[in-house]
Amino acid sequence: MTTIPLASRPGRVLGTGGAGAARARRVSARVLVGLLLALYGVISIYPFLWMVSAAFKDQIEVVRGGHLIPHHPTFATLAHTWNQLHFFRYFVNSLEVTLLTVVLTLVVYAAAGYAFAVLDFPGRGALQKLFVALLFVPGVTVMLPIVLLENKMGILGTHIGLVLPFVNGGAPLSVLLMTGAFAAVPKELRESARVDGANEFHIFTRIYLPLTRPALITVALITAIPTWNEYLLTRVSLNDESTYTLPLGLQSLASENVPHYNNLMAGALIVVIPVVLLFLSLQRYFVNGLVGAVKG
Amino acid sequence: MSTVPRPALTETAAAGRGATPRPAGAAGPGGGRRIRRHRTYEAVSGYLFVAPAVILFAVMGLYTVGYGFLLSFAQWNGFAPHWDWVGLQNYKDLLWQNPAYAPRLHHAAMHTLYVMIAVPLLTVLVSFPLAVLLNSAKRMQGVLRSVYFVPYVTSGIAVFFAWQYILQPDGAVNTVLGSLGLGSLSQPQGWLGNPHTALPTMIVVTVWGAVPVAMLLYLTGLQGIDRSVLEASQLDGAGWWRTNVSVVWPLVRPITSIVVLLNLRDSLQGFQTFLVMTNGGPGDHTNVLGLEAYRLAFLKDLAPTLGLASALGWLLFAAALVIALINLRVMRSKT
Repeated sequence: MTTIPLASRPGRVLGTGGAGAARARRVSARVLVGLLLALYGVISIYPFLWMVSAAFKDQIEVVRGGHLIPHHPTFATLAHTWNQLHFFRYFVNSLEVTLLTVVLTLVVYAAAGYAFAVLDFPGRGALQKLFVALLFVPGVTVMLPIVLLENKMGILGTHIGLVLPFVNGGAPLSVLLMTGAFAAVPKELRESARVDGANEFHIFTRIYLPLTRPALITVALITAIPTWNEYLLTRVSLNDESTYTLPLGLQSLASENVPHYNNLMAGALIVVIPVVLLFLSLQRYFVNGLVGAVKG
Repeated sequence: MSTVPRPALTETAAAGRGATPRPAGAAGPGGGRRIRRHRTYEAVSGYLFVAPAVILFAVMGLYTVGYGFLLSFAQWNGFAPHWDWVGLQNYKDLLWQNPAYAPRLHHAAMHTLYVMIAVPLLTVLVSFPLAVLLNSAKRMQGVLRSVYFVPYVTSGIAVFFAWQYILQPDGAVNTVLGSLGLGSLSQPQGWLGNPHTALPTMIVVTVWGAVPVAMLLYLTGLQGIDRSVLEASQLDGAGWWRTNVSVVWPLVRPITSIVVLLNLRDSLQGFQTFLVMTNGGPGDHTNVLGLEAYRLAFLKDLAPTLGLASALGWLLFAAALVIALINLRVMRSKT
């Protein structure tokens, strides 16, 4: 676009925006930006759209493929996957593993974070560093020893055998976030509670925990979502189909000779929907947590 | 609660060893003994509060790390009653000596290297401009940010199957290309079935999954930039493009190095996407180091490859450490 040199001067653009050419340019720039943003939006949700689409198609229609909006949308596929293909049971199993992991993570690392942030004890710094250093050990390096150890302890293949390594695996981030949150609570609160005769446990549960609720929700979220989706350790730990979590249920659907994509996508949708709902309702905590975790 | 200081702390404090008291400069009327007692009490409660985390860490962290390290110097199939110590042989076998493992590993290492170069680069190239554009959009910003976050939220096995579904020979990607008149670009074997397109496709899927977090980090970085800096640059006559390239980009450099580090680490160690979508195929064309370690550890039945798997895990750990150190150096030299 050609403009008089003067019109493109920032003074003018920032000013009253008098020149028509500059305004036209700004409008077209805004439209272009809008288009680009919309395009990436479509790219972001594209596989998800097809997942939804296939989940509402029947066997015949999904094989024909080609069209995003089902011609004969049906709930039968979802119902079949939920009832006949045991996804209800997998769902309950996933819920159990995830809830246990989240609760244990909150209890264990809120306490640890409190100790690191508030209490003074010999070896505190070294211990804290040790927890964060765990971030650098690749998951695949410790997976084999975990399986061998659990085999020896007799908990391999149980849900508790999944929960314990998941909790420990979340240690670096949880400790980081909780320590930061507790350190931000004014020390005077603790001092005055102590003068009032409150013991350490009361100070922790009655003063610090209520004040750090946002951080607790964040830790719960960033623990829950990867746990819900976990596949690698779960796959080599669980053998009995009745203990399968949703990702393993999906895997067994996919490894049929001819995978029925409508059932598979219905299963995938069942896996994804709770996470999407959780994210939408608690987005704020989630974003804070991710930024805090990376920058900490 | 009474306001009179009660000796409520004595029962725990009495059990403690005398912690070394600090020069009691701030000592109140109670004198040094009460301070010392209090410090002991605090230390004991400190240990009690970290105890669950430490116990879990000792069993699931330290023990397994130590065990894996020892195992990397041994040969074992997981069932035999004892290990055969082989010293550094596992590392040698993997790196160059054993024709059954070394060439496969080199092959996988090359693929991993491609991924490690392409993924951080493309992630930065997509997410920085995206964040700049999103930051300039005043309306819809919240909605769009949520939409861009869908890949992160749905990441995991479910969405990988969805990708697999649309990348099939008669899948949605080929259909879209056809309807756009780009039918010549479509892949009749499927994007993951053709050995030449499989790895690039996997890279695209990985970048797609990595953009949300990177974009979010850039966005918070951009929103932290002082407005006056941008206005000053515009008053100096710099246009939108110049301002972003020579003012904003250098200001968010710390974020770029975090994004690069995160993605380098994930590209080096991550393999879940590969395991689910291609399992290394077709014909090992998408085999990566993490996947190879997983195979050696879990999918070799009775072959004595557990030591090899551990050794490979430790090689990956060493590489991750080197990357972290380099990144630290780079970040320090720039600030």
